[in-house]
Amino acid sequence: MDEKRFNRRSLLKQMGLAGAGLTASGLAGATYKVRKATAAENRSIPKTPLKVAVVSFLSGPASGPFGIPGNNSFKICAEEINKQGGIAGRKIEMKSYDEAGGTDSQVKLARKLIMDDKVDIILGYISSADCKAILPLSDELGGLIFAYDCGTHVLMEKEKSPYDVPKYGLGFRTAAHLAIDNIALARYIQKHYPDVKKVAGINQDYAWGRDSWMIFERAIKKLLPHVEVVKTLWPQIYTKDYTAHISSLLSSGAEIVHSSMWGGDTVTFTKQAIGMGLFKKARMAMSRGEPYPQEVGEDFPENQIICCAGTHYFLYPPQDKWPLNKKFVADYHKAYGKYPPYPAYHAYQAIYAYKHAVEKAVSLVGGWPTKKEIAMAASGLSFETPSGILTIGKDHNAREDVLVGETKKVKSFDFPILEPENSSIFPAHEVNTPVGLRTVDWIDSWEA
Amino acid sequence: MEYVLIYILNGLYFTSFVFLTSLGLNIILGVMGILNLAHGALYAIGAFVAAWLIGSMFAGMSVLLILAGGLVAAIGIAGACGLLMEISFIRPMYNRTLEYQLLITFGAMLAVEGLIKMIWGGQSYYASAPFVSMGSIEIVGSVYPVYFIFAMVLSFATGFGLWLLLSKTRLGIMLRAISMDREMAQAMGIRIKWFNTLAFALGAGLAGLAGALIIPTTPATLGIGMDPLIRAFIVVVIGGLGSLRGALLGSLIVGETRSFGVAYFPEIELPLLFLVAVVILVVKPEGLFGSK
Repeated sequence: MDEKRFNRRSLLKQMGLAGAGLTASGLAGATYKVRKATAAENRSIPKTPLKVAVVSFLSGPASGPFGIPGNNSFKICAEEINKQGGIAGRKIEMKSYDEAGGTDSQVKLARKLIMDDKVDIILGYISSADCKAILPLSDELGGLIFAYDCGTHVLMEKEKSPYDVPKYGLGFRTAAHLAIDNIALARYIQKHYPDVKKVAGINQDYAWGRDSWMIFERAIKKLLPHVEVVKTLWPQIYTKDYTAHISSLLSSGAEIVHSSMWGGDTVTFTKQAIGMGLFKKARMAMSRGEPYPQEVGEDFPENQIICCAGTHYFLYPPQDKWPLNKKFVADYHKAYGKYPPYPAYHAYQAIYAYKHAVEKAVSLVGGWPTKKEIAMAASGLSFETPSGILTIGKDHNAREDVLVGETKKVKSFDFPILEPENSSIFPAHEVNTPVGLRTVDWIDSWEA
Repeated sequence: MEYVLIYILNGLYFTSFVFLTSLGLNIILGVMGILNLAHGALYAIGAFVAAWLIGSMFAGMSVLLILAGGLVAAIGIAGACGLLMEISFIRPMYNRTLEYQLLITFGAMLAVEGLIKMIWGGQSYYASAPFVSMGSIEIVGSVYPVYFIFAMVLSFATGFGLWLLLSKTRLGIMLRAISMDREMAQAMGIRIKWFNTLAFALGAGLAGLAGALIIPTTPATLGIGMDPLIRAFIVVVIGGLGSLRGALLGSLIVGETRSFGVAYFPEIELPLLFLVAVVILVVKPEGLFGSK
């Protein structure tokens, strides 16, 4: 049982030393030899498979839109990796767990996975509350944890800017956080609708909705100071009747309505809003709207601004130019009859981040790496994914470009799509918070 | 101001669902004295049955026909579940204290939720064909979906039908007699056991209808019955236990408070409802139409 704790300072020191050693090893070899000598007996690559635990919602309202597509994608990726010979020669033995049941039971599960089952890594978590509770366990228990989908911007941030990184030595998030979507929406509106006067928001009344709106409102007020926020609505999560909210939005005169709603709530809201004529008077700007045109189908209205939680879209990067997206989309569609929604891309990022980090570490240390060495290799890692090139920052948080477009009906699909050629791509540096800064401080520092 | 009429209409729409859900809860509470926490789970059964039938089994058939089929099946299956529930584990609880009833009906709620998960899996079921195909009409300058009006009419008609049943038929009079004085009703020769089962099945069927009726506007998901249970409970409390008039007025208060609350005080959408309930209970602790 590896219960040895290490704090941030000692970890940073070790990372600095070992990082220098790792990168220099190809040139000088001295550090490499020392490390190899001290741990020679443990360095051979085990014959046993890698135990990979995957945790995402397999039941409940968050399973359909996120958990199940994520889990599907993990399965496809693990199969593909095993077919190619595994990770540094070790096959993946993947086991899926349900994220339902609340944060307490997830903390218990994570403890069990690390302490009793001795998994090599946990890839998981859609709920931000779960991520916040579980990532600290990585250093406490010495287990590698890659959060793959949860969105809260504060997960890897500390109380005050600037802060030193990383917050967790063995904890990572292999996707960017919710700020990228909301900042990208604000930038898109600035670029395409600079004359907009009235905006409104409808967001679910819990941390996700509140944080998403807070970032969007801050960003849009910086970018377009003349914009007036005419209504902010906070429906309860899993609301079944949005009539009151829709009438309220209609009466507010808002031209653009921001929303970070997800899952069945988005489908319910969209259908009721179609019935009540909202889309004839206002345009939605949906921070995580990517899955819903496909979910709702041909009824989904045109000209709605949709963000993709990065550049996660089955048509982007264009499949003829980026074969990795073509293959991923084809594999997913063949297995599950749908185009992969963004959580499926997030799952790809998590499992391949682990693969690339392990293989990088194996190549650098000349044998099977420790979890710390894998973490060091993952920090600053860049690799190709179906959505382009993903980079994991020194703060252990991934950085992504963002695709924002407007829905359009075309003959070749039975739901409205975003045409990549008519969409906007915001490069990572325009939408991702710089390492060591808090997102709100970064936005506040923008020149108006 | 031009939207006030629409706000009222939205409030009525919300009222209709809360009313329909609270009717069943109210009957079971009034006749049997059982506070049925599993009411939300019976609502969920109605929702899943309707979503499953409308969304997949009957897909492609005439919309009104599949809607009618879905609603009837939901009432029937939820009612049958209620019947089984009453016979199996509610019956031994009649002479126990409230704590036992709460425990057993809470347990029943979890069991039914588990059953739903076993049968339909953890996924959401969509069945919006009736809502979409009925389209929208223009009312006082606003576009309004026809299905909402259909749901309102059906809910209030059900309430009216129930009122007729309880006040004009022999069966209803006997049910009311039980709710007023169980011992006396029994002494008069009313077979309480049989009526308990009937009342429970009726209440369960009404919960099933409410769950099924909302399905064309929203997917069926696990836990769908929780929120309606809480709101129906508020209605029963502020309207007065076992009162049909109270249920209607309580639902109206809940529905309109929500509609105007969202429009004018969106920050306190949910607390506002509880605030109104608290004020009513402070002023009239027995509820608007409850007896002391």
